[in-house]
Amino acid sequence: MRLVLGDAVVWRRDREAGTCGARRRIGRRGIGGPLMGYFGGLVMRIPDLSPYVPGSDGPWDARTAAHLLYRAGFGASPSEIERAVSAGLEPTVDSFFSESPGEEEHFQRTFEDISASMANFGEPFVLRAWWIHRMVRTSVPLREKLALFWHGHFATSIGKVENTYLMHRQIETIRQLAWGNFRELVLAIARDPAMLVYLDGESNTKEHPNENFARELMELFTCGIGNYSEKDVAEAARAFTGWHREGSEFRFNPEAHDDDVKRILGRSGRFDGSDVVDILMQHAATPRFMARKLLRFFATAEPADSAVDSAAESLDRAQLHIKWFLRDLFLSKYFFSDECRGKRIASPVEFVVGAVRTLGVRIPAFELAERVAAMGQELLAPPNVKGWDGEQKWINSSTWPARVAFAEQIAGLFSDNPFGPHLDLPTLVPPDVTDPNAIVDRLAGLLMAAPLAADTRRDLSEFLITTDEGKRPDLFRDDPDFRADRTRAVLGMLLGLPEFHNC
Amino acid sequence: MFTRRDFMGCTLGGLSCLSLKGVVPALFARSADEARAADMNDHVLVVVELAGGNDGLNTVIPFENPLYYKNRPTLGIPAGEAIKLNDQVGLHPRMGPLAELFKEGKVNVVQGVGYPEADRSHFRSMEIWHTASTDTRPPTSGWLGKFLDAGSPAGVDEAAPRGLALTGVLPQAFQAEKTVVPVVAQLDQLVDVEDGAAALGKLRRKLSTAPGGEGEVGFLRRQADLVYRTAERLREAAAKYESEAQYPEGELGPQLRRAAQIIAADMGVRVLFASQGGYDTHANQAGTHGELLEQLAASLAAFQDDLESHTRADRVLVVTFSEFGRRVDENGSQGTDHGAGSFLFLTGSKVKGGLSGEYPSLEKLGDGDLIHTVDFRSVYATVLERWLGCPAEELLGQKFAPLDVL
Repeated sequence: MRLVLGDAVVWRRDREAGTCGARRRIGRRGIGGPLMGYFGGLVMRIPDLSPYVPGSDGPWDARTAAHLLYRAGFGASPSEIERAVSAGLEPTVDSFFSESPGEEEHFQRTFEDISASMANFGEPFVLRAWWIHRMVRTSVPLREKLALFWHGHFATSIGKVENTYLMHRQIETIRQLAWGNFRELVLAIARDPAMLVYLDGESNTKEHPNENFARELMELFTCGIGNYSEKDVAEAARAFTGWHREGSEFRFNPEAHDDDVKRILGRSGRFDGSDVVDILMQHAATPRFMARKLLRFFATAEPADSAVDSAAESLDRAQLHIKWFLRDLFLSKYFFSDECRGKRIASPVEFVVGAVRTLGVRIPAFELAERVAAMGQELLAPPNVKGWDGEQKWINSSTWPARVAFAEQIAGLFSDNPFGPHLDLPTLVPPDVTDPNAIVDRLAGLLMAAPLAADTRRDLSEFLITTDEGKRPDLFRDDPDFRADRTRAVLGMLLGLPEFHNC
Repeated sequence: MFTRRDFMGCTLGGLSCLSLKGVVPALFARSADEARAADMNDHVLVVVELAGGNDGLNTVIPFENPLYYKNRPTLGIPAGEAIKLNDQVGLHPRMGPLAELFKEGKVNVVQGVGYPEADRSHFRSMEIWHTASTDTRPPTSGWLGKFLDAGSPAGVDEAAPRGLALTGVLPQAFQAEKTVVPVVAQLDQLVDVEDGAAALGKLRRKLSTAPGGEGEVGFLRRQADLVYRTAERLREAAAKYESEAQYPEGELGPQLRRAAQIIAADMGVRVLFASQGGYDTHANQAGTHGELLEQLAASLAAFQDDLESHTRADRVLVVTFSEFGRRVDENGSQGTDHGAGSFLFLTGSKVKGGLSGEYPSLEKLGDGDLIHTVDFRSVYATVLERWLGCPAEELLGQKFAPLDVL
């Protein structure tokens, strides 16, 4: 069935929509107020999201590239940074969206192999480890990063779902649709079996409508609180009646569906769930709500209202296509400005997977998943339907020691271990570098988003050459084992310093 | 320490002075409330979780009831072995130390504790106990977290935590809006790391807690500083503590020993949370369950002994709980499956010794499970009002009649 719309509907293709094969309705009047920033074929330039021009706006160097790579992925290894610097900004951003041929097939095959004989994916800890493994090994980190974002957005917990297969399917769905059109993603989530269990869609019937999903769809997934009424929730719940599941598949149950007219956000019709999704996609509050959330995750913990306005306009212009929005963002002057640099706190997953990728550490994903949970981010089990609060809420007197302990663990791994956990120190700091300052600079350059304070740098250099008996620059210069040992200690220290958790 | 201001926070919106209400003006009612709370502001609550679902029927044994033996052909504890508390019920034979405390009048056994429409999922039932709510969308904060938030004073030393988790991770009961509850084991881990390399630890602390910092670094440094100061206090508490008390090996004993150290150090901690796992006894229950109960009883007795020798016993109350009891009839593997309704213990010098609540019927069951006779939130209400001095109705969202156990 179709929407009953008072507005004239015009379809057209534009630059971005043409590229990605979607169509867009224009000429509409927004439900909660006029829609911003769209005038026919004219693509408006939003001052804040105007492009960053390397050279005139600032450098395109290792630190700038590292900022981009941290945000779009997990950490940044020296080779990734080097590649980005030599490729240039725009090609680097475009590369985030290009999949290596065969990678997905490779992961699928590995998953099946492991499932066939190595580990039981029915156990949540195995599935958690699998996801961490993908984050560590992927050549398209942005896709995993977005999957993590959506996992916190459409937060679903195995605690209630109690079925790892359904959780696995949901993660696959959000990964697959990660940077596509938001509408498609919301629709897929509305039909997702894990979500149908989690927010009681499976018990939503014409006789007994259950509002749980309809409410969260509005409050947390699309337009945000204050942009709908209680009546809208009740009516939307009716539209989703009969959206059930059979085992691990979505099934529409016509007997349980309420086919009568509903009135939602000022429109009426014999709406079903996909109509509700359409209505919410056209709600003027949706681009703003989503833009703020995306900015918080990718750009800055506290985006200014003006930045949210611009981002909302950009997202609206991109017709809620996440890829086009993120491309705009990653290329923008705003993204590289002081408003966004060093203005986030790394989530546990970003910290752990980032450290592992940056340093090229070999360590079982099972262990990483446990570490991440101890830091307050247990995958597949967000604390509630709102997901993780994030940012400053990540840090407390339980989770900070857990971060320091992980830093120590990583630094304690040895280079000469042919088997098991392993850290290849000589590739990070070549053994022939014997100057303590050079070693500190090298490690800090590898790990820190901003240069170290002068006194911190001095303290660390001194620490490198100090033994229980006092300073021994000679020993440091002449004994490679001592040097490696001290270097490792400084590495652990850097990983556990507040500066490394600010990104 | 609890101050007058804390208590004001705690009573906000709930002038619940029990017997005086309606008789004296509100002003006096508040004063009376405050006085009561002031009396309690050095009270400590220790919650002991028995995770996995403790088999209440084999903990508090109805040895005169033939239905018990009929349902428990292999697991039933013979009447002659149970340690009799009265002429109807007795404790598991391996709970001797707890039976001794009972004789001294320091244990109250609350019978038939549960909640309506019991859920047999560990996760869900734990969530209900930890949040004190049966709502399908439970609050984010746990019941203990709410208590700490309600009395969260402004301007106190943040490094003096009012709640501490002795478990490996933060229990849901301690989730809070404003209050940070440290996990002792994680702070210890930090101390261990630093102790292993003193110079490294010193420098890390210096660099991690330096004042100032760009972006979020300043925030992170303040947090790190708080962590170090809290860890330091715990370390000092451990260093000062000396004890003859004999705690058993195992999961619970060391946690309660740590609790005693912390309480003895008078750090201002109000709530501690310990946990003992392994109660999910689906098969070959007898040995495992006996072992767990032995550890439980010995740990609780050692803790009481320890507190008495440190003259802190009058200030400490222990409450145990488990997410559910087990099915009345045993399964085919000499074990029991998830059930409902169970028993809990309150121990401490100020506890009114004895049995409370009604032993649940073995005749009239709900879907094979015991039907609870006491809502667990009555126990919480009792603890909140009569031990912690915090109005319970507001915190629990409805009125639950307190029990006569304190």
